[in-house]
Amino acid sequence: MTDQRMQFLREFWDALLERLYFLPPFPEQMDSLALFSLLLVAGLLLGEWLHRHFNWPKMIGYVLAGILCGPSLLGWISSEALAQARPIADAALGLLMLEVGRRLDLAWLRRTPELLRSTGLDIVLSFSLIFLFAWLLAGLSPAWAAATAAVTMASAPAVVLLTIEEARGQGQVSERILLHTAIGSAASFLAFALVLGVIHAEHSDDWLNALIHPLWVALGAWLVAATGAAFALLIAARLPKRSLPQVFVLIACAMLAIGCARMLAVPVFLTLFLMGVMLAARDRQQILRYTALPEGHWLLAIVLFVIVGASLPWQEFGWLSVVQAVGLLLVRAAAKVLALQWAGGSLNRRRRLLVGLGIQPLSATAVFMVYELAALYPEVGRSALALPLFAAAIMELLGPVLCRWSLRQAGESLDEQKGSIG
Amino acid sequence: MSGFGEFSCSQPLSLGVELELQLVSLRDFDLTRGATDLLATLDYDESYGEIKLEITESMIEISTLPRDTVHGIASDLAGLITVLQQHCRNNNIGLVGGGTHPFHHWPERRICPGERFDGIYHRYGYLAKQFTVFGQHVHIGCASPNDAIWLTQALGVYVPLFIALSASSPFVDGVDSFFQSARLNAVSAFPLSGQCPPLGDWRDFIEHFSFLQRCGIVSSIKDLYWDVRPKPEYGTVELRVCDTPLDIAQACALTALAQSLARWLLRMRPPLSTALQAHVARYNKFQACRYGFDALISDPLAGGQKPLRQWASEVFVALAEDAVALDCAPWLAAVQKQLSQGGDAQWLRRCHAESGNLNDVVRLAAERLRSTLCIPGA
Repeated sequence: MTDQRMQFLREFWDALLERLYFLPPFPEQMDSLALFSLLLVAGLLLGEWLHRHFNWPKMIGYVLAGILCGPSLLGWISSEALAQARPIADAALGLLMLEVGRRLDLAWLRRTPELLRSTGLDIVLSFSLIFLFAWLLAGLSPAWAAATAAVTMASAPAVVLLTIEEARGQGQVSERILLHTAIGSAASFLAFALVLGVIHAEHSDDWLNALIHPLWVALGAWLVAATGAAFALLIAARLPKRSLPQVFVLIACAMLAIGCARMLAVPVFLTLFLMGVMLAARDRQQILRYTALPEGHWLLAIVLFVIVGASLPWQEFGWLSVVQAVGLLLVRAAAKVLALQWAGGSLNRRRRLLVGLGIQPLSATAVFMVYELAALYPEVGRSALALPLFAAAIMELLGPVLCRWSLRQAGESLDEQKGSIG
Repeated sequence: MSGFGEFSCSQPLSLGVELELQLVSLRDFDLTRGATDLLATLDYDESYGEIKLEITESMIEISTLPRDTVHGIASDLAGLITVLQQHCRNNNIGLVGGGTHPFHHWPERRICPGERFDGIYHRYGYLAKQFTVFGQHVHIGCASPNDAIWLTQALGVYVPLFIALSASSPFVDGVDSFFQSARLNAVSAFPLSGQCPPLGDWRDFIEHFSFLQRCGIVSSIKDLYWDVRPKPEYGTVELRVCDTPLDIAQACALTALAQSLARWLLRMRPPLSTALQAHVARYNKFQACRYGFDALISDPLAGGQKPLRQWASEVFVALAEDAVALDCAPWLAAVQKQLSQGGDAQWLRRCHAESGNLNDVVRLAAERLRSTLCIPGA
């Protein structure tokens, strides 16, 4: 029916074109700006509606809008449109990763042994238990099991950052959720780079690729990030602190780094995360320390989550995938909660449990990592990585709820006190 | 009577100090929620005094043990701040002095859990969150309740002097308020703030308090937010107008001034004209808050005005003997220097002029509090 209408429209347009020579050819694809706006409106409407009626985190609405409009359900967003929107998604994820990197407080980590213990245990336990589950119970090969573990071991930086921002979370639970997420992401990216080599080694006899690809990814991202950070600091030092021009410089340098990463085929999320870490570590004169991203980054976040929702291949998931993904998520949850409990420290058990639950989200970064890995050997990668992809799909919806719930239980969400005056 | 018990007489001129301190994020130096987390995980034996919650989560109060000398107070404050700072560092929180946070957004403040704080929030609404301001309270021990009431009245005249010398709150809501102490503007919104009414003795005070109770205005002594008030359970007079200074040395210097002045007043017993002083008290307080050392202070007895600097110099001369007797002379010399060199408010403005932003001002203030734990003269 839709095709018939489109055919009619096309013929009508062609007829007009014969007489009105100034008209452009019939637009076969939607303009990316128009697509951006439609994704924004669709995500915004559903996110706000769910937030207002059920007090759900807005992100869930954005993901649901993507799932609804995506190729799996209504098909309003085609696979071609998704590919066309990829630069927007890269920009959105890149900016969020930059912010997470900037918030990685290594000095706090260095001077607080309990944090070193808990983040270290989280990384080791999460990777090991997920790897064992994927290898021994889900039946993946060791290389793809390692890939699954690398992709899913860390919490979702974008979800955690936006949930804490949305709830205006302040306090030790919020701070530690953010720190665990940032450190976990760093470890996950390192594992991801190593796993690239392992996958090449398993699927190809060409050892050169197995050796060079991880180095290319790691060094390429490092180089782009270092250049971007140095460039941003150099220009921003000539501008007033916290000024609007500094915000523009920060965004422009981030976009430059995103563009360079795309040109060099190194992961945008890794590059921008590193750039954020370097910006924070090298900024000894506090040049950009207080310059925050404008509220507008929420616009990009909406589009990111709509695209992530739309890109999930729901039709490929069967019952076995459901069982395996739920199993993986339970193992992952246990690893994180146990890590926090075993590490001990000054926080009481309940608050450590809340940190453990707050770092459960799994989202955009994992999905993007899966697609990067799957693209290496598409014939096997797609099916081998269905498990982490489905786990991420479930946590797209559950993760923000858990994180938000943890902040509320910890009494660190600002809306706890709204309206409490009679 | 209800509201408070009998006046517990204490060692005359003994001291106690309470400091309200700011808890800031080390990322951007804005105020952050941290007080209940800090206290919940604090392992401290109270050997220097107490660490307590205040109305919002971005404040924490330290109070020393009762001490006979300013040196004892200095030692307690240094111990308390060292303990607290170590604990703050583990929680990635900064500790800062100063009467106001220069740029925090008050609606984002969280009220601390607890029946008392909840009651204040319900009673005063948004004023409770705006009360995220930081003061130093000095307790001076009194031998009798009548002495306490007399000293409360006598110290009231010197309120502008303490305001000017402690002023450390020039910035509010991200702008220069042009005040030296903008903190007291937040306090003055409360209905029971301001001057203690003219009272002759302890019996007058009890009658006045009973009257306020019958009228349903107060239920406890804590409901009186007077600039100077008696504190029956401690047996002290509490001076409440000082901004929290930027470092311990200044907090001790103000304590030394309060002790020396109290000794001089109790020794000399100058005649009080409380009814007459009441006419100019609000004006003089405003002058001190707005102009600091450049204030013009009205003298209702002489019927004219006097520059605060000149008045302060005369007071320091008068207190010299008492300061020596109390071993407070070095502290007073330090505070006297400020009359020519400028105080904390000027220091904050200088930092702002040099750095060009208020985040760095708070960062530098945090560094100053951390770096001045070793006190000269202590």
